[in-house]
Amino acid sequence: MYAKFPEGAAHRTDPAAAAEVLYDAVVVGGGIAGALIASRLSQAGKRVLILEAGPAEDLTLRGYESYLDRFYSATGKDNQSPYPAGVNAPMPRGTDARRISPGAPDASAYLVQSGPFATDTTYTRVLGGTTMHWEAKTLRMLPEDFRMRTLYGEGADWPLTYEDLAPYYNEAEREIGVSADVADQAYLGITFDEGYVFPMKGLPLSYLDRMVATDLDGMPVELGGERRELRVRPFPQGRNGIPNPAYDGGKGYRPRGAVSTYQVEVGERCQGNNNCVPICPVQAKYHAGKTLAVALQSGRVDLVAQAVAHKVHIDEQTGRVTEIEYRRYDRPDSPGSATMRARGRLFVLAANAVENPRLMLASGLRGSSGLMGRNFMDHAYLLAWALLPEVAGTFRGTNCTGGITDLRGGRFRRHQAAFSVDIHNDGWGWARGAPMTDLVDLVDAGGRYGQSLRQGLVDRVSRQLQLAFMVEVPANPSNRITVDPAYTDHLGNMRPILTYDIPDYTMRGVAYARQLSRRIFARLGAEDHTAYDPDFWGYAVHAGEGYEIRGGNHLAGTHTMGSDPSTSVVDPDQRSWDHQNLYLVGGGSMPTVGTSNVTLTIAALCLRSVRAMLSQLDAETAPIAVEVAR
Amino acid sequence: MTAPSFEEFLRLSVDLTAFGETELLGTGLARQYLAKVRAACGDEIVTALLDAHRAARTEAAGDAGDAGSLDGILLDRVLLDRALRHRIFSDDRLGPVARNVIKLWYAGMWYALPPEWTDRYGARAAGEASTVTAASYQEGLLWRAIGANPPGAKGPGYGSWAQPPRIEDRYLNGATK
Ligand SMILES: Cc1cc2nc3c(=O)[nH]c(=O)nc-3n(C[C@H](O)[C@H](O)[C@H](O)COP(=O)(O)OP(=O)(O)OC[C@H]3O[C@@H](n4cnc5c(N)ncnc54)[C@H](O)[C@@H]3O)c2cc1C
Ligand code: SF4
Repeated sequence: MYAKFPEGAAHRTDPAAAAEVLYDAVVVGGGIAGALIASRLSQAGKRVLILEAGPAEDLTLRGYESYLDRFYSATGKDNQSPYPAGVNAPMPRGTDARRISPGAPDASAYLVQSGPFATDTTYTRVLGGTTMHWEAKTLRMLPEDFRMRTLYGEGADWPLTYEDLAPYYNEAEREIGVSADVADQAYLGITFDEGYVFPMKGLPLSYLDRMVATDLDGMPVELGGERRELRVRPFPQGRNGIPNPAYDGGKGYRPRGAVSTYQVEVGERCQGNNNCVPICPVQAKYHAGKTLAVALQSGRVDLVAQAVAHKVHIDEQTGRVTEIEYRRYDRPDSPGSATMRARGRLFVLAANAVENPRLMLASGLRGSSGLMGRNFMDHAYLLAWALLPEVAGTFRGTNCTGGITDLRGGRFRRHQAAFSVDIHNDGWGWARGAPMTDLVDLVDAGGRYGQSLRQGLVDRVSRQLQLAFMVEVPANPSNRITVDPAYTDHLGNMRPILTYDIPDYTMRGVAYARQLSRRIFARLGAEDHTAYDPDFWGYAVHAGEGYEIRGGNHLAGTHTMGSDPSTSVVDPDQRSWDHQNLYLVGGGSMPTVGTSNVTLTIAALCLRSVRAMLSQLDAETAPIAVEVAR
Repeated sequence: MTAPSFEEFLRLSVDLTAFGETELLGTGLARQYLAKVRAACGDEIVTALLDAHRAARTEAAGDAGDAGSLDGILLDRVLLDRALRHRIFSDDRLGPVARNVIKLWYAGMWYALPPEWTDRYGARAAGEASTVTAASYQEGLLWRAIGANPPGAKGPGYGSWAQPPRIEDRYLNGATK
């Protein structure tokens, strides 16, 4: 299916005129969460206004090309390099991370970090949000992830079960366009409906994965009194593969191509560009612009870009939200903005798990449970790297096609964190900046040139294996987002302050991961080159051993859902307990993150919430609903 | 002083990169690279580098004549390697420039010269780290050397990653532990 981003959609709504409209819903944030909600509400005939902090040109042809050009021309290609850094809607960048000295918050970048642990976690404030540069792994959570407290006495229980969410997982997989095979993905209790197939067939494992699998498959592991055998398993992916003709009871699936014109021909199937993070040049990878394009075509969705939500106003009597005050800036790179407001029946904050609580706290809305901003979660990544005995052709394929998922669940979770393991097709890139660092080292220090350089590169780069252990981080109320009037940005918005430490439970998982990596390398006959630098900003010591810990970009937990208003911020529909017509959606609602990258679950939760929004709208607007439903 | 010769720059580049002239010309960037090196280091140094390279080849060709006719002559690789090390790589002035030319071809990026070098031979605005054009990243020889595409460009096609890499045999076999 080809849905073009409607020409002019970014500018067709006049903010002043919009202020006079009472929308059915005002959505803050045009990422996947906001886009899904806007698209579904508009499909049901509702009028929606999206306020988006970033500029919106970028989903047109010219805009997308400018992302690519910025990326190709950047001397440092970090994961924000394609995206314009505006002063009015600033965003964190991985390269901002600094070591934090005790008692001295690092306020040098947009995200103020008061530590003690520093993180390089990021998100993107452009239309389409962080899915513009996500990697698009789309794992479902395990059924046991929803019952951590009951089963393992760790973390929290959800007010929902896997079964409650399963139909929405199906729908999210359709929307994102997931490529995977059920046979590979039904493990550790994950079940699928009878006859279910993914929209597209699984992407093949890389040559590197297969080489690892040859030796690794069948490796026995004893943990928590349970024995299991490891194997390399393909990951489900939000990028276009070969449509499965059996999808949807034999109706098949039409992949979604690019939203900007010239890529129509190439925007379909993943070409193995190995650049999913930070930007897929051919838009084979899902990004929220694909959902937005469809929503904007409905004619019932208005979009105001360059609109940074500043304050949520409430009626003191009823607690209901009356309007959202926002700053509309004229240009991304210079000051100059106007204060505007947006009114609606419902308000949906979909600005992500850092920006949602930031906005609420900056509006003086701490929540009756006092939990707004608390229980911040992410994944903690531990990398381990080695050289394989043979050339594995590293640096080909999507960023990651396969990994080890057998330790995502089990009784050991009473004692230590679970993890999932990625085999990185981009070698030691994340750990050590390969292959450029190898090139520089071979030339400058190794005296290599000509044939000996070519040989050196093959020996050193094409044999690289990097394992990334994505370790779960349980909720902890002292890990939190706060604000402070002392820290504001150009528009006078209070900046988010992150207080974060890695719990021991996670560190035990980290330590085990490192041990396991040694065993795996030994089994593969690989040379272990892992060495953790004590000067690294994310260096953490546990039981006398030091580790480099990196952020996972899987923001969650800052407005957790529950069935009790005194211990949660939102209900199972992501509706605020305190403000009846306000929904806080996204990763912030998740009570646990388990070992799946969070976005598929975010999408499923949002799709589920739409039902509640629609019935609330219908209940509260019953007499005039006829006029709205065109 | 005459401007550094493009042909000589190309010959130097072949020796430095172990990619053939056709491959180097095929990037469409050879002339821009020479311009970049000239802007970053100045013609005097570039000319000195090309002279040193010519001299190294002459040395390696034993009793051969002038540089222009060197192409057809079978060079002694061991002697050439030695001459390049002695005349260029170990030279304070030329070594860092030659290494930068290698990196320029392989990464498509001009790296900043070391501070010791700029202190002695002068810093120029064009000498700072920069990409030459957006295309130069995509044409980096590094990607060809490892049988991969530059991430973000020249996608090799769906599923190609499941096949063994296309790396020239001689480099494959040479892989040692
Ligand atoms: C490098 C990287 C790799 C990743 N890989 C994966 C992966 O493989 N799998 C996975 O599941 N997840 C992955 N993620 C995480 C994924 O990108 C996020 O979970 C997802 O994008 C969150 O969607 P969201 O809509 O909730 O928030 P976002 O995508 O962050 O969107 C929020 C939107 O709100 C806007 N906004 C923010 N503040 C305001 C404001 N004050 N007013 C108005 N608008 C505002 C922003 O501009 C943005 O458009 C990755 C993230 C990164 C950084
Ligand atoms: S591998 Fe390439 S084509 Fe495929 S999703 Fe990633 S960037 Fe896009």
